Amino acid sequence: MKEKKFYPDYLSEIIFVVLIAFELLLVIALTCPPPVGRQIDFTKSFQPLPEWYFLWIYQLIRYFPGNAIFVGAVIVPAVFAFLLLAIPYIDKGANGRRKASIVFFGLLLMAVVLTLLSQI
Amino acid sequence: MRKIFDWLDRKFGIKAPHKNFMKRPVPDNIGYSYCFGGIAFVYFLLLGFSGMLLTLYYVPSEKEAYKSILMITEEISFGWLIRGLHKWSATLFIVFILLHTVRVFVSKAYRPPRELNWMAGVVGLIFALGSGFTGYLLPWDQKAYWATEVGTSMLGTLPFFGGHIKNLLRGGADVGGSTLIRFYSIHVIYMPVFISLLLWGHFHMVKRRGIAKNL
Repeated sequence: MKEKKFYPDYLSEIIFVVLIAFELLLVIALTCPPPVGRQIDFTKSFQPLPEWYFLWIYQLIRYFPGNAIFVGAVIVPAVFAFLLLAIPYIDKGANGRRKASIVFFGLLLMAVVLTLLSQI
Repeated sequence: MRKIFDWLDRKFGIKAPHKNFMKRPVPDNIGYSYCFGGIAFVYFLLLGFSGMLLTLYYVPSEKEAYKSILMITEEISFGWLIRGLHKWSATLFIVFILLHTVRVFVSKAYRPPRELNWMAGVVGLIFALGSGFTGYLLPWDQKAYWATEVGTSMLGTLPFFGGHIKNLLRGGADVGGSTLIRFYSIHVIYMPVFISLLLWGHFHMVKRRGIAKNL
């Protein structure tokens, strides 16, 4: 296999990618500046949408009403994080890669589906 | 210029140990998907830079926070742009961490001897989400206030410790001025320091173990 040196081959490519990343950000920031929100209304309770990366938890808590809300808000996300951390240890033995793939893509699919469901 | 650098090099000795780093071979068959982590890091640096500029005008107090956001957006020159850069690099930061995670999984780069680096990355993702949650409150507007109110009371339903965790995060029984200061402090000091330390370890492990070749 042919090999490249970090400097100058790889470094020049990195600088190119950094510029593209910065331009992408600049275009989005210039075309979609974030609006200033409304002033707080303390008088009546309001159900706001969280940031998009918390929508899956927002959807999850709908399935655990009342006092069980912590299951959706804390327990399930904690199990989610624990499984993600454990991926290198799930991938052990003959079928390790298959098991790890099921866990990883299962979690990913769950997060995506819950996010989509929250938009309905 | 060279003289200044040589003088600094005699004090710090940075040149010699980095020669090998700069000249180290990199596998030839890696594609641009291997850039996702690096791009996330670019957005992390931009978050730091734009955030430092925002702290010059932002006031983390119940009375002033909303007004200072209005001032940044409407009066300060390019304030709206700095705020936009901060907000959007946060979104892109999370997007590219997620893409990087998928790439690392697909190329099996979480396997030993890199398992600790995978775990450092997962913890980093959690800290990034924590930064997002604490940053959401800072504009002190309708959405921000109620998202924190709802988010922290959800933690409060946890048996045994729930109430304590909720009070610890809020700095009192309700979401108010002390919550704002606490979230501001977590957002601008604790999270950036923790993420920086994690990334330092993350990058060192990559340097020691090399880039995983796609098997």
